[in-house]
Amino acid sequence: MGMKKNKMIRLTVSYLIILLMCVVIIYPLLWVIGSSFNPGQSLSGASMFPKNPTIAHYAHLFNPEKSNYLYWYMNSLKISIITMISTVILTSITAYSFSRYRFIGRKNGLLTFLVLQMIPNFAALIALYVLAVRTELIDTHLGLILIYVGGQIPINTWLMKGYLDTIPKELDESAKIDGASHMRIFVQIIMPLAKPIIAVVALFAFIAPFADFILARIMLRSNEKFTMGVGLYEMVAKQFGNEFTTFAAGSVLIALPIAMLFLCFQKYFVSGLTAGGTKG
Amino acid sequence: MDGINPAIKHGRNAALLSIIPGFGQFYNKQYVKGFIFLLLTIAFFASFLDTLNWGFWGLFTLGTIAGLDHSIFLLIDGIIALIISVIGLGIYIVNIYDAYNSGKKRDHGLAISSVKEQYHNLLDSGFPYLMVSPGFLLLIFVVIFPILFVILLSFTNYDLYHSPPAKLVDWVGIQNYIDIFKLDLWRKTFFGVLGWTIVWTFVATTLQVALGIFLAILANQKDLKGKAIIRTVFILPWAVPAFVSILIYSGMFNESFGVINTGILHAFGIDPVPWMTEENWTRLALIFIQTWLGFPFIFAMTTGVLQSIPDELYEAANVDGATIWQKFMKITLPMILFTTAPILITQYTFNFNNFNVIFLFNGGGPAIPGQNAGGSDILISWIYSLTMTSAQYGKAAAITMLLSIVVVTVALWQFKRSKSFKEEGMN
Amino acid sequence: MKKALSIFMMLMLLLGILVACGAPERETRSKSPDETKNKDKTAEEAKPEKLIVWEDIDKAVALKPAIASFEKEYGIKVEFQELNMADKMRDQLRLDGPAGKAPDVVTLPHDQIGQVVIEGLIQEINVSDDVLDTFTESSVNAQMYDGKLFGLPKATETPVFIYNKALMSKAPATMDELYTEAKALTKGGQYGFLALWDNFYFAHGVIAGMGGYVFNQTDNGLDPKDLGLNNIGAVEGAKYIQKWYKEGLFPKGIIGDNGGSTKDGLFNQGKVASVMDGPWAFQGMKDAGIDIGISELPTLPNGEHMKTFMGVKGWNVTAFTKHPYWSTKLIEWLTNEENAKIRFELTQEIPPVKTLIEDPIITDNEGAKAVAIQSQYAVPMPNIPEMAEVWEPAGSALQTIATGKAEPKAAMDDAVKSIETNITTNHPSE
Repeated sequence: MGMKKNKMIRLTVSYLIILLMCVVIIYPLLWVIGSSFNPGQSLSGASMFPKNPTIAHYAHLFNPEKSNYLYWYMNSLKISIITMISTVILTSITAYSFSRYRFIGRKNGLLTFLVLQMIPNFAALIALYVLAVRTELIDTHLGLILIYVGGQIPINTWLMKGYLDTIPKELDESAKIDGASHMRIFVQIIMPLAKPIIAVVALFAFIAPFADFILARIMLRSNEKFTMGVGLYEMVAKQFGNEFTTFAAGSVLIALPIAMLFLCFQKYFVSGLTAGGTKG
Repeated sequence: MDGINPAIKHGRNAALLSIIPGFGQFYNKQYVKGFIFLLLTIAFFASFLDTLNWGFWGLFTLGTIAGLDHSIFLLIDGIIALIISVIGLGIYIVNIYDAYNSGKKRDHGLAISSVKEQYHNLLDSGFPYLMVSPGFLLLIFVVIFPILFVILLSFTNYDLYHSPPAKLVDWVGIQNYIDIFKLDLWRKTFFGVLGWTIVWTFVATTLQVALGIFLAILANQKDLKGKAIIRTVFILPWAVPAFVSILIYSGMFNESFGVINTGILHAFGIDPVPWMTEENWTRLALIFIQTWLGFPFIFAMTTGVLQSIPDELYEAANVDGATIWQKFMKITLPMILFTTAPILITQYTFNFNNFNVIFLFNGGGPAIPGQNAGGSDILISWIYSLTMTSAQYGKAAAITMLLSIVVVTVALWQFKRSKSFKEEGMN
Repeated sequence: MKKALSIFMMLMLLLGILVACGAPERETRSKSPDETKNKDKTAEEAKPEKLIVWEDIDKAVALKPAIASFEKEYGIKVEFQELNMADKMRDQLRLDGPAGKAPDVVTLPHDQIGQVVIEGLIQEINVSDDVLDTFTESSVNAQMYDGKLFGLPKATETPVFIYNKALMSKAPATMDELYTEAKALTKGGQYGFLALWDNFYFAHGVIAGMGGYVFNQTDNGLDPKDLGLNNIGAVEGAKYIQKWYKEGLFPKGIIGDNGGSTKDGLFNQGKVASVMDGPWAFQGMKDAGIDIGISELPTLPNGEHMKTFMGVKGWNVTAFTKHPYWSTKLIEWLTNEENAKIRFELTQEIPPVKTLIEDPIITDNEGAKAVAIQSQYAVPMPNIPEMAEVWEPAGSALQTIATGKAEPKAAMDDAVKSIETNITTNHPSE
């Protein structure tokens, strides 16, 4: 009886907190959505529920004669997806090595990079620009993707390594005795058990390029190669008369693929070790 | 010949011969391997000699003719040359080490591996290196290379009046570092800004981390319904680009017209709060906004990590009659921290340097009489406005380095203390 | 032994690299300076096949007809790219120039000229006096730095008085009238007059109109050592500014970095009778359905006109071009009367071409006419690099004056002190 009552209280409190958080989260976002339907261009004239809503800003974005938004959208999707796949692959193999093998640089290698990434990189932009010019990767999506992937490796590798460390080593060893190769153990035994963390890494890698406008603004030169981050930033970066409402419309559309991706990954988030890993 | 003869020092001989890569291996009769090393060396010099020559010359001189030589580009070419040489040197050392080892084996009368065995050896012991190297190579260029640039830049006089292409940049040693300490401008304001920076870093980050972990655990309860929707809503603040949210917030916090004063507080009968013109209110708003922006990342990460905690642990705890709080303190939190501690530390350092939110929300303001930093300016935003508006790049780099040393030291110290690092040391 | 050996070998390798490191043959890597510098810019330059121009965002509509006619006249193709002029134009030129991707002609706001000249990004141009005479004197002066000409003026802008005809019947002639009117109009979320006087760009009109100045204008140009932001006139101006905030005529919500967007929003909702703003704001207001009237700014209590800052966008020839002669020819073409007129018609930017300013096309256009009149009282923003040190301290001082945290005199004194220190530290005089 007491157990049941306890459970009721716990769940009720949980739902209440979640509800409160949802309000705090959604309220400002409703403003973004609301202002994207407002006529006019400025932020402060906008209201959450405009009296005479308009889809003019969306129409503007999707009109190829007026804006390159569709290009930017496709570019961003392309860059994010490639970055996501490459990051997951690179991070997995790196994390696996760090978790299971001994080699020079294993102990401090990752931490060194985590620490190095803390150094603010304002000036680094010039360096990356010149490097890209020298390697002829300037104004290409490839150059940008390489930087995104590289920047993502340390933190994600650390995260994944931590997770892999909790997968019992006996699993690999018994497979090894059965004659499985390095690659097979990795792909067929370890990776399926690491799904939750792979989902997290994939999400991180997917979002990063969407949010970035600083790097992309330096590396990309032609308007039709821009990502959404750059394109949208240019809209509000104008010193005077920025197009805030159009920009809000563009931002709403950024959030969509990310939210969708997250929904798709939901089932991986919960398929953890408990799904049978430890019991072999 | 290769009998048990300790007088013959094959190890030393092979290593010495390896000064020319491959010859040590030839000496050890490992012809294929030797040939590969030799070929690698020739290829290295053939393709990079020009780059190296040009790069090192540029790195030392930073150019000699203004208008023709671009010092900054030369500096960067120099760093590229430096990185290539270090990689080359690495291979060179491997070559010597390998020859020495094989020679040593001969000294002890052991058989030298055949080509096939070598191949298998390479695959087996080399497997981790093989797996790590693509990521490592990328990291060298994306992470190390820019840092080298900033470090070197801090020893130059790069500023508006020494700007290529019009002028050359010169090495000035530690002059920038000396100048920084001599500047009068700073003294008055420095400690105030430092104080707020520390408060900001600590409070904003702790809040976002705590909230993220708390919500992840909350949403991970087995008997909770609608997890998919809840989780998706919780990551939404992260799905909208941060600069959009910050701008929206700055509208919402507007003193005269923002919805927080005119709508929410008004509904509760609270007088308008001077969010944008009183420094402490601006700071409070900033902490709130950063918590809102930052918790989804922690939330997503923790949600993933929570899956690695076996149910058995909780079941055992239940049998022992542990309370929710005890389970959290003894099982959940240690497990989360075990995996994520270093990443949480990076969250602190990130906020220490979190320029965007400060800048976009209120431009570092409100202005405070008699001081040249705004009320919500943190060190990085203040220093950059002091140096970058007047194009003091060399000084900005020097300050970046000083700040980085502080941040990195604190972070390293924390890393060493964190459990995951200690465990790492044990196995 | 092993260690010593490896150290020895590393030294050998390093030595090898250093020996190989002579001064490289640079001619193969980049062009010799003589090639561009010593060329006679006035003639005999071979016609290039094409020239590349960087134009401001959304302004290429006015460039297209001009380059079409240029191509027809001279047979030189002109390609263009649109870039944000406020910062990206300069930042990208800085990177792309040395990387060999520079355009021949760019457009820059004149207040960046000092800086980009020192950095060596743009070059001096030779233009005959006949050509220069077609522009207003102040706009040509804005393109001068260190006594040399670095560009031709493309368009000018300066803040003017804009009013909502539904709320205000006509523009007041004096600030005193406006003050009385604003007193009556400001109530219940409505405002009579709004201006961003916590921003030095707009506040300059008042401060300079009352007798203050940034740098003293001497015969040799601006003197960065002679600051006039805390003289009697400037402090009077600051006091006048404070009055508007203190009496609640300006709400606190328009103070700070995001005040501009708030002010625009209010005006576009029809809650504000009049504002001080630049010509860039006209279109947005009309789009929002406001029937606006535009005139020069009212006179200050001392009877003087507001000395607003004038911004001159110019066409500049980059230092990286291989065709300085033809690039100069091109910018002469772009700024000639015919193309200036086209520009005005298509982008509403106001070219400072004398004949055009008297042309009915401008005198019959309320907005353009107001800008033209106000420009007579305006002063070009200083284009010396020392100006970079002024904005922030001046802005902070004004903000504390607006919020009432500081007395005008003390705040302006502080600002001047900061600016002076910054100038001595960051701009050592040669």
